[in-house]
This record gives sequence, structure tokens and C-alpha cells, in this order.
Amino acid sequence: MPKRHSPLQSEMVQGTLDMLILQTLILGAAHGQTIAHAIERGSEEVLQVEHGSLYPALHRLKNRGWIAAFWGTSENNRKARYYRLTPEGKRQLVAQTSRWEQLVRAIGRILKPVKEAEG
Amino acid sequence: MNWRRFFHRDEGDAEQSDELDFYVDATTEEYIARGMGPTEARAAARRMLGNTTRIREEVYRMNTLVLVESLIRDVRHAVRMIRTKPGFSVAALLSLALGIGANIAIFSVLNAVLIRPLPYPGSDALVGVFNRLAIQGQVFEDAELSPSMYAAGKESAKAFESFGVWIPGAATVTGTGDPEQLVTVTATQGVLPTLGVSAYIGRWFSNEDDTPSSPQTVILSYGYWQRKFGGDREALGRTMVIDFVPHQVIGVMPRNFRLVNFAPDLLLPQRFARSGLTPDELSYTGIARLKPGVTIAMANQDLTRVWESWAESNGAGKMLSMLQIRPNLRPLKKDVVGDVGSVLSVLMGALGLVLLLVCANVANLVLVRAQSRRQEFAIRAALGAGWGRIARELLVESLTLGVVGGSLGVALAYLGLRLLVTQGPAALPRLEEISIDGTTLVFALLCSLGASLLFGLGAVLRSGIPGRMQSARGATQGTQQLRAQNALVIAQVALAFVLLVASGLMIRSFFALRAVTPGFTHSEWIQTVRIAIPEALIPDSERVIRMQSEILSRLSVIPGVTAAGFASGLPMESEYRNGVLIDVEGKTSVDQMSPNRAVKRISPGLLAAQGTRLVAGRDFTWDDVLGHRGVALVSENMARENWGEPASAIGKRIRQRGKDSPWLEVVGVAENVRADGVNLPAPAMVYFRAGGRGATFAIRSERAGTEAFLREVAAAIHAVNPGLPLAKVRTLNDVYRRSMARTSFTLVLLGIAGAMALILAVVGVYGVLAYAVGQRRREVSIRLALGAEPRALTWLFVRKGLTLNFAGGMIGLLLAGGLSRWISALLFGVAPLDPLTYIVSGTLIGVAALAASYIPARKAASVDPMETLRGE
Repeated sequence: MPKRHSPLQSEMVQGTLDMLILQTLILGAAHGQTIAHAIERGSEEVLQVEHGSLYPALHRLKNRGWIAAFWGTSENNRKARYYRLTPEGKRQLVAQTSRWEQLVRAIGRILKPVKEAEG
Repeated sequence: MNWRRFFHRDEGDAEQSDELDFYVDATTEEYIARGMGPTEARAAARRMLGNTTRIREEVYRMNTLVLVESLIRDVRHAVRMIRTKPGFSVAALLSLALGIGANIAIFSVLNAVLIRPLPYPGSDALVGVFNRLAIQGQVFEDAELSPSMYAAGKESAKAFESFGVWIPGAATVTGTGDPEQLVTVTATQGVLPTLGVSAYIGRWFSNEDDTPSSPQTVILSYGYWQRKFGGDREALGRTMVIDFVPHQVIGVMPRNFRLVNFAPDLLLPQRFARSGLTPDELSYTGIARLKPGVTIAMANQDLTRVWESWAESNGAGKMLSMLQIRPNLRPLKKDVVGDVGSVLSVLMGALGLVLLLVCANVANLVLVRAQSRRQEFAIRAALGAGWGRIARELLVESLTLGVVGGSLGVALAYLGLRLLVTQGPAALPRLEEISIDGTTLVFALLCSLGASLLFGLGAVLRSGIPGRMQSARGATQGTQQLRAQNALVIAQVALAFVLLVASGLMIRSFFALRAVTPGFTHSEWIQTVRIAIPEALIPDSERVIRMQSEILSRLSVIPGVTAAGFASGLPMESEYRNGVLIDVEGKTSVDQMSPNRAVKRISPGLLAAQGTRLVAGRDFTWDDVLGHRGVALVSENMARENWGEPASAIGKRIRQRGKDSPWLEVVGVAENVRADGVNLPAPAMVYFRAGGRGATFAIRSERAGTEAFLREVAAAIHAVNPGLPLAKVRTLNDVYRRSMARTSFTLVLLGIAGAMALILAVVGVYGVLAYAVGQRRREVSIRLALGAEPRALTWLFVRKGLTLNFAGGMIGLLLAGGLSRWISALLFGVAPLDPLTYIVSGTLIGVAALAASYIPARKAASVDPMETLRGE
């Protein structure tokens, strides 16, 4: 489906958003709005996210069974959909994080010589 | 794929919407807390979230099944198209409903009669037990068993798990209310266990019930039990007076119980005397359940052995070898179904052709409509619709038409079958089992889908092919479009021709059968009753004939009886056929094999009762019979074969083969009788004077068949001896009609198919020509304006119609010629290539087509040129 492009997905490596969501939820259940703001703040506002694209990602993760949704009451007493990590989601997070770290190290090793040459 | 999610996708979307609303609200509050104005804060929150519709769409798409979703949309669109074009839709749906409905109906019959197993447990192991025998070189496959054969089989056959014989009959019940004449089946103990149908209440017959000295018992049918005892379980053990003898009720059979093709009110035990099993005539139908693993061939072999030892002990070896009697077992299903299979397959084929015709017609309609939608398709293609998209839509539309038409067809079939079952054609066995079941519904679905694909693909190919859609404007018809329509018309005419020929041939057969002189007259006035006088009752054979003569004289005085007689068997009573080797004095020599002739033993007056004319000489007299005179009668064809002229047969002598058998003088020649069925040639026949214990009485009266008459007949017979069982109580017409039933049933259904085909073809021709006229209005107007003769223009279109018809007719002629061999088994007295039928069918189609093309052609010529051209 090439026509669809959310900023997060097009600018970040595939699966990164999923990882970020899972990471956020490790601290406890949260609703969509909290997750969006947490990701933005957590990245020191480097990742400028169009918050809307978070929701399809949440839906996808829920369908995969990595997170579960339930209806709860928010801080200001409103009905809100909360998400929490499932055991499967936790496993996925560990696996993906280590894969991500490998990737970062690999990219880091490749990029280093260029910087030295410039400097 | 997650179907649960799919079915809850709208709910999911609502929740998603709520969640997004919550985001906006929560973020707005946050922004207000940071010091923004409410309106500004809300706008900022919205911006932060992005395009909510797109988010919802994305989530929705994750929840849905794209193919299913768009299919549903296409079906909705199709239903809308069908609704908005009522004229087109009614025509298409109606013809589909008729075509598919007819096929479903005939298929349900086929399914119930031929495909479904018999309604008995383990019915595959059930066999009918018959004999094969030869008379006059003609082989009969279904001669029945004699009591002593049954006894031998029961005692020493190893292939059967259980075995019994039965015979249909009639009985009079007296004692409660008016005397009532009931249909009975008399069966030996083994018959019910063989069928494996348990009694609803009570029990089956036991060996004791079969013993002549024990008290008489009876098993009731469910229907009779309900009618007479109101379904009271206390009926068990009660006593009923049947044929003046008290019988104890021992059981009730379940509802819908049928014994092969009989639904008797009462089941009576068949009680053969333990010794002296005479009259030993072949009149009992055998039924057996094979032991597991035993084939019919093995059982036949086993029974051949049994018959041989039976003949040895019984002294029947001569009869066995003379008639070449061999056991002939066959699956019970064949007994039940008979030879209706060929009829049904021909009908199925005919209605399949009708469905093809319907498809051609609907394809035509769809084509015409696709033509008028060409602009629409072209515009949609220009706007980016893919070819597949448009093709799919057309197909879905056709499928929707097909499925809706098919459902209507199922409804029609249901009504049609109800009608069929209430009419109860004698040619159809297992009538009460006919219903629309799962198999039929699958067939209906396949019919609908197949038909829709057939005409839907046509439409797709004509209007959906890529590159064909450039012409948004000036979409005039191409020659290709015309060619497709012409081909359809030709196919329709050809198919209709085939069906007309088929029904024409059946009509000719029917009239040929009706025109046959069967050798008896007014069969509906001939009441028959079979009486076999048991040796246990009358041991002396001389007294048997006196008793029969006494019965006959009592029957003759019943009011309304004009003639009466009895014979060893009446015409078409195939179970009492007999054949004997006959020597003709001066014609057959001792060392030569003399031909085996059909033989009947008849009483004086029988020929008159049957309505069989005497061609020469005289009938038997009672003096002949009681005086044991050496006289005989022969049939006309027997006389002609041996002596040239019927009259010259008188005084000649014949005898049964064998040195010691006496010569008999031929004293009379009787008209030929079609004794094996109206559709079979009359056998050369020899009549001996009456004798023997088994006889069918023929009583000629206009009151035959009425219940009052039957009661008087039963009373007359029982006045002579109340212990005589009455069997085969029917009119000769029942027997006669059965031999016509197959032809008339086929005739009616093929006639319907033929009429449908003719109408469909006419509609098809009319439709195509009317459309062509409409398309060529402009051309016609110009021609008229330039001075063309209107009559010449009319002729232009009529000629087109006739050309198409002629082409169709020629193809139909070839097809019909090829296919008619298939139907030849059902024909009588007419060749499959009967020229008259072909000419009449051709003329009929030609005239119909002429009319169908003349009307639109006239319309074309009466066009007002100015008006048409101005309208352009």
C-alpha cells in the first residue's frame, strides 16, 4: 500500500515506532495520548511525530497480540482506551531492542570513517 | 483473516473515533493548562493529531477484507441495477426461474428415484429374487417364485441372511361399520426382517404365524391404525374380522412404510401348507438380504444349486429345463425403480437444453443492455476504472441475476413438485420420497452459477475487453456485436428444433400406442381377482374346477355383469406367463425341436369377458372342460403361421410335446392379444381348456373398480368358500395404463419442455430483430427519405430473421438427427428419423419465427423519417 505514508513510518526505520510504543508501555498501561506525548518528550522532541499515525500502529500491535486494550477512566475522569503490554509484547520488545542495538552499532561502524575523513 | 473483526468493523470504527476524540480533548486541556485560549488549543490539538479520517480509514482497512467488502458493494450495485431496469430484469429473472426451476424439479425426481438409497437400513444388501425363463425364444427376466421354490430356498440357500416371499392382494374387513375393501400384502415371516423395518408398536410375524393351524394374525399400516383405531395402542391384541375370519392384531408398521412399491393397509402372514405346496405357480415375489460379502453372482450360483435339487425332489425337472428357468437376482432398487431411468435421463437432457436456451436468451438481454451501457463504461474507463473492475462488476451483476433467478426457480420447483406428487403419475416410483434436499439445493446453486457464468462471460467479452472502450461518443453497434447476437439466435432456434422433434416423436408414439388393438376392449370394465385354491382346502383337483365354475356362476349373476371367465393369467399379467413346447400335426417332426409357445388355460366365457373376438370356430364350452375333451384354441397369428388362414386351422391337431400327450383338435381361433404389454408384439398363443388351482377371474361390468362392486365380488366368492384369499384385485385398465404410463408421462414433460423452447426461441428472435430495428432506425429513415419502398424495408428485416432461422433449423436438424437415437428406447411405432415429425417441427419453428420477425420489421418500415432524423 504505497499511497499511505505516515511521517513516522517514512522517516524512521520500519518497526521503530512499534518498539517505541512497547518501550513506553513497559512503565505501565497508558492511553494513546499519553503514549504519543511520552514518545515525543522521551526523544527530547527529536522525533516530531504526527500523533495520529500512532493509532494505526497501536491497532496493529493489538491485532498481533503484543499489547492489549481495555477501557478505563483517565486522570480527568473520562472514558479512555488504555493499552498494556502482554507477555508476548515483552518478549518482542527484548528481541527487537537487541536487534536494534546491533543495527545501530553496525551503522555506527560504517559511518565513523566518513566523519574522520571530513574532520 | 479475522472474521470476528470483519463483522465488527463498524463498531471498531466507532471506538476508534471515540479514542481520537479523547486525544483531542485531553491534548486541548493540556494546552489550555499551558495558557492557550480554548479555540486555539483545540486547533493545535487537531493539528498535532493530523487527519483523523485517514487514521480511521487506515484502521478500518486493517479490520476489513478488501475482496469481500468490494464484492458486497458490487452486489448492492447489481441489485440496484436490477431494480432500476424492471423490464429487463423481469424478462431475465422469469426465464431464468423457469429454466432453472424445471431443471431443479426434474433433478429432485431423479435424485429421489435413482440416486438416494432405498429407505431401508443396509439397503445395498437387499435383492429381489426372480427367475429368468424363455418362452418362444423370448427371455423374461422377472418371473416370480413358486411356494415350493420358496420352501427350498428358505431351507437350503446359503447366500441369504434372510429370505421371504410376498404377494399383493385385497381383503374385506367386516364387523365394525360398513364392510371395507383394503389393499393387503400377504408376506412370509422373512419379509419384514429382510427389509429391516421394525414395527412401530407390536411385533413382526413369527414362524408360528406362518403355520396354517395357528390363529390368524395381522399387522396394520400406520395410516389404517390411525383411521380405524385413532392411534390407540390398545389395538394390539384386538381381533378384526378379515374375509370372514378373525385375525388378531399383533403390530403396527411405522408411518410411510412401503413394501417395495406397495403401501398396504394390512399385512397378512403367508401360510403355505407344510406339505403338498400346490398350486405351485410362479406368483410370489421373492426378497432377500444377502449375507455380508456375498455378491449377486454368488447368490445366483447358490440358488441355481437349490433349484436343481428342488426340481429333483419335486419332479419339476421337465418344467425347469423346458422353460430354461434360472434364478435371476437383482438389486431391490431395480425392482422399486423399474425402467424409469431412461425416461428421466432423457427428460433431464431435454430440460438441460431448455436451460441452455434460457442462457442464450438472457445472454442476449445482457448483451443488449451492455451495449446501451457502453458510454458509461467508456467514461468510467476514462476516469481510471480498470478493465478488471468493470468486468467484475458485470460478472457480479450476472451472478446476482442468476442467484435471484435460481432462488425463484427453487420456489417454482417446489410448487411444481407438490403438483406432481398430488397428480401421482403411475410411471414414477418412490413418489412420496421426492423432496428438495441438500443435494438438490447444491444442484440448484450449480445451475444458477453455471448459467450466470455462461451469460455473464458473454457480456464481459463483448463490452469489457481492454481497448474496446475508447468510444464514449457515437457508440454505434459494430458488426461483432451483431454477429454475437445472430449466433445466439441461431443456437436458440437449433435447440428449440431439437426439443420440438423430441416432443413430436413422443406424441407420435403416444398415438401409435393408442391406436394399437390390444386384443381386449374397455379394459376399465374388466375387474380382475386372483384366486388360488390351496390343496389343503380342496385336495381333489376335480373338485377345484367345480369350485371355480361355481364361483364363476355366482359372479355372473352380480347385477351389471355382462360376461365373466377365468384364465391361468390375463393379458399383461406377466407373472402368470407360461410357455410350452407345442407340436403341430404334420408340421413339426419328432426329431426336431418344436417351438415353445405362450400358453393359457381359459374357461368358457373368458374371451367374451376380455372382449377378445373369435376369428373362426367356437369358444370352449363347459362340456369341453368337465368332459376333459381334447380341444384347444389358438391365436390368429399362430393359425396363420401354421395353416395360412384362420379358418383352415379348425379341425387341425396340436399337442404338448411328448409322446404320451394326447392330440388336441383346434376348435377356434381368437384374435391376437398383446399379452406382454401394448408396446410389444402379440405372441403366438395356444389356449388350453381351464384347469389348475390358480386362476385370475375376469368380470366384465361397467361397475368394475367401485367399492360396492368389489364387496359384492368378495361376497360372491366367499359364499362359495370363506377361506379363499383374494389377490391382485384391480381392473385390467390399471395394468393397461401402467404399460402406457411411461409414454404418457414422458410425453407430458417433453411437451412442456418443447413448448417452453418454442416460446423462448420466439422471444429470442423477436428480441434480436426488434433491437436491430431500433439500432438501424437512422439508416432506415434515410432510406425511406431517399424513396425506398416500405415493403422492401420490411422484407429486409424479415429476410434477416428467416436467414437466421434457416441456419438455426439446419443445425437443429443435424443435432436432432444425432440425438434422436438416444430417445429411441422410448419410442413406439415411429422411427427416430420420422420425416413427418421433422417437417412439422420445422414448419412450426419457421412460422413462429416469421411472425416474430414480421412485427419488428413492420415497425421499421412505418418509421417517420423526418421525426427520426430530426431527433438525431
